[in-house]
Amino acid sequence: MAVEIDRREAYRYLGLRGAAPDAATAAAVDEAVRLLDAVVEPRQVSRRFLLKKTDDGALDIEGLRVESKALSRNLEGCREVFLMAATLGIGPDRLIARAQAEGAMSRAMALQAASAAMIEAWCDDVNAELARQAKARGRALRPRFSPGYGDFSLEAQPGIFRLLGAQRNIGITLTDSLLMLPTKSVTAVIGIADAGEAACPAGCAACDKTDCSYRIREDTP
Amino acid sequence: MNRGFLDRLGRERLYCDGGTGSLLQAKGLKGGELPERWNLTHPDAVRDVALGYFQAGSHIVNANTFGANRLHYPDPGELRAIIEAGVGLAVEARRLAGREGDAYVTLDLGPTGRLLKPMGDLDFEDAVALFGEVVRAGEAAGADLVMIETMNDTLELKAAVLAAKEHSRLPVCATCVFDGKGKLLTGGTPESLVALLEGLRVDALGVNCGLGPAQMLPIVRRLLAASSLPVFVNPNAGLPRMENGRTVYDLPADAFAAAMAEIARAGAHVLGGCCGTTPAYIRATIEATRDIPFAPPTPKRRTVVSSFSQVVEIGPRPVIVGERINPTGKKKLQQALREGDLDAVVALGLSQEEAGAHVLDVNVGLPGIDEAATMAALVPKLQGVLALPLQIDSSSPEALERGLRLYNGKPLINSVSGKRESLDAVLPLAAKYGGALVALPLDEKGIPDTAEGRLAVARKIVEEAAKYGIPREDIVADGLAMTVSADSRSASVTLETLRRLRDELGLKTVLGVSNISFGLPQREAVNAFFLSMALESGLSLAIINPSSAAMMAAYRSWLALSGLDDNCAGFIAAYGQGEGSLFAPGGVRPGAAAPSVEAGTLSDSVRFGMAERAAQQARALLDGGADPMAIINDTLIPALDAVGKGFEAGTLFLPQLLMSADAAKAAFAVVKDALAGQPRASKGTVVLATVKGDIHDIGKNIVKVLLENYGYRVVDLGKDVAPEAVAEAAIREDAPLVGLSALMTTTVASMEETIRLLREKKPDAKVVVGGAVLTRDYAAQIGADRYAREAMDTVRYADEVFGAMSH
Repeated sequence: MAVEIDRREAYRYLGLRGAAPDAATAAAVDEAVRLLDAVVEPRQVSRRFLLKKTDDGALDIEGLRVESKALSRNLEGCREVFLMAATLGIGPDRLIARAQAEGAMSRAMALQAASAAMIEAWCDDVNAELARQAKARGRALRPRFSPGYGDFSLEAQPGIFRLLGAQRNIGITLTDSLLMLPTKSVTAVIGIADAGEAACPAGCAACDKTDCSYRIREDTP
Repeated sequence: MNRGFLDRLGRERLYCDGGTGSLLQAKGLKGGELPERWNLTHPDAVRDVALGYFQAGSHIVNANTFGANRLHYPDPGELRAIIEAGVGLAVEARRLAGREGDAYVTLDLGPTGRLLKPMGDLDFEDAVALFGEVVRAGEAAGADLVMIETMNDTLELKAAVLAAKEHSRLPVCATCVFDGKGKLLTGGTPESLVALLEGLRVDALGVNCGLGPAQMLPIVRRLLAASSLPVFVNPNAGLPRMENGRTVYDLPADAFAAAMAEIARAGAHVLGGCCGTTPAYIRATIEATRDIPFAPPTPKRRTVVSSFSQVVEIGPRPVIVGERINPTGKKKLQQALREGDLDAVVALGLSQEEAGAHVLDVNVGLPGIDEAATMAALVPKLQGVLALPLQIDSSSPEALERGLRLYNGKPLINSVSGKRESLDAVLPLAAKYGGALVALPLDEKGIPDTAEGRLAVARKIVEEAAKYGIPREDIVADGLAMTVSADSRSASVTLETLRRLRDELGLKTVLGVSNISFGLPQREAVNAFFLSMALESGLSLAIINPSSAAMMAAYRSWLALSGLDDNCAGFIAAYGQGEGSLFAPGGVRPGAAAPSVEAGTLSDSVRFGMAERAAQQARALLDGGADPMAIINDTLIPALDAVGKGFEAGTLFLPQLLMSADAAKAAFAVVKDALAGQPRASKGTVVLATVKGDIHDIGKNIVKVLLENYGYRVVDLGKDVAPEAVAEAAIREDAPLVGLSALMTTTVASMEETIRLLREKKPDAKVVVGGAVLTRDYAAQIGADRYAREAMDTVRYADEVFGAMSH
């Protein structure tokens, strides 16, 4: 199953900072997408949970306790959340490892960038479907927020995995240091708000790390 | 004591239990809570779930121990108590149900939640140890068998099976999760799973979770077609959907049971359920399948080897084993192995895969290296990047065992002979780890010089192997190709041996084909013709160099001429597009777009990132008499530098920098060959590592390639590297510069720790750091000497550090 990607995202991960790609770079990304299409296995699992606040002001998602100002801001006014986990499977990791073993670093990097764009695109697809479900119930979704953003600690990962059965259902695992494998995997919390409530900032605009190399600036197309 | 479980398994239809999680949740277990802790806190609820299944008629009921392991319960006392209580509660439930006579309590082993090396960070032996701990406690608590289930990584599955066998005497059954396309999440297939598990000698295998019974049926059929063992089928109650924030499954008990009847008719031997199923589902399934006739599993008698994802059947179509990962007589490979440069060895594997090998031989026997350790490092490394099955090849039983243990799949094992010492050392390994075993028909008296003599030894090996339960189809007998220039009858003896091994002993056969031509001119011609003769005499496994055009042409021609290549499609695919002749200089060349070496200069090829052309041009320059050092200093380095400066100025971007680096690297490789003996002087040694806890190493690898192109020697420690290992390497190599990378905020802490240790152990080493979350300030704060924001920054810093040293 193929996931359509926005090539401009892949170029951004390649450090082009909005510049137009030269022919060789464009060709390398096209080739990477072709290789990835043959191996990716996009899978996802998502569930809706009640969101509560503990007495000391932490967030509580079905027994999962999260202390994060950034996430609390994002979820302000929400009484429910979706948890989601999505992955492209182990295929991209193998392709990237193979390119590196063959000494083809440019191919490895193009695969890395294209698969990063692809997992984001896959999350957008899942997110859009959840938004559609929410809309049918007269609700609207907040921007998705992942462990590792701002002060939302990776320590939440094991709890999110348990609540979603993320390993059993879509085969993603956590390392000792709470990173996900396959690497092209994402978990996120998505607030469910009453429709019509003002949306809060999303993506790079919501992030405090203003000196990030990958930050999308307002002046970039 | 398991009261006849193994006497009944495969002789009558048995039934498992169904889901546990949803039943416990109905009794109040929260989604985020660890369910096994309930064995201690809510024993009545846990006992009731098991009791429900025993009363419904299940023969095989899991203790509530699915996730009970050290990773989830780090306190050993608590872990032991949880396992004891879990098994104890199921045993008690069985007594309450009055089922002591005919039902079994299983120690349930689920996945660890971690991915094993090489793709992940959990060490294989650590996985074996942590499963072993659970198995010991479970056997002591009275479990009747070990049920390994819901696995999706076959390497983790292998660790669990070995743990069960090494730490208990209980029967072992194992089931995996397949997706709708019949794949494991790590790429395996029903056939590759069967090959692995039969090799490991489990008692039964199968599929659970992930799918409902209807979606599982095609997978069940494939398992049944491949397996000689009983097959378990434990589906979910259909497909999940959300209802008011809860997951519900779409099949009610009667529809589930009707689908299970279909699975029973297909021939499955053990039936049960998984997520969403309850005792009512099992009761209905028993009802619906009671009168369906039962057929025991039948032996399939096929010779197969496998990797984590591929199965290669040996015969009727002969199979090519690539022979090039073997240091005998290969100077470059010997040097790579001595220097621990496994990347070079892996590259040999990849090129043989591209050339058309089906299996790769892996032999690292070389005086002066630790063969067992090299084998243990190389096998996972190869399996990290290529999917071909491997032939683990060594004369050292220790090296064989290290390779077999870590191998993800069912390998070829090379080899056992008729010598007593070899039989006693190798047969137990083949019996324990599984594999198709190459048998050399020679013994203490040497190599028999007649076919008759070789058959006698082969017969003896088959009999000895049978004592270990190794079936005939897992033995591949060697015809022993001997130098024909030394004895003109030797080829005909070998060919007769092949025919008679096949016809009289019913064995698959193997040859190291090129031995035949030692001492002759034009060896390839002799080898290719001998290969054709051997194939015609029944050869099943040809160990050859797949990069030899003549050998592959002989193989492909033989397939086409023997009716094993439909419409000659394979032959045409291999040769139909090219021009030129196999037998003319240059061989078959790609058709239309043959790159012209003349167009552009080597410098252009590097600047525009054309690797293949850069290599060709470097070769052409050398052939024309150019000085290798001049090519490096006057062409390659300036071209690279121009690109590097363009990158730093922001006129070129990372992809162009990397393509140039790849092209320069390809040209360097050609020039290096020409410099053999007088290698390019290194500017100095840099140690690189991605720090402990971090697995994102692409940035570090980019820096490595750039440093190497600029003339530095790089000691690359890889990813997830402990601070101690970095310090040790810096001291050992006396490296003036250490580069560290970390992608995540969380792993910057281990970067800081690594720097602290370096300051203490190797205070004169400079430290440069890089990674997405770092900034200049942050780098200074954790004590680094330099922050490298971009790929070229480390090269420039190295020039600074090493430049200062040379002044």
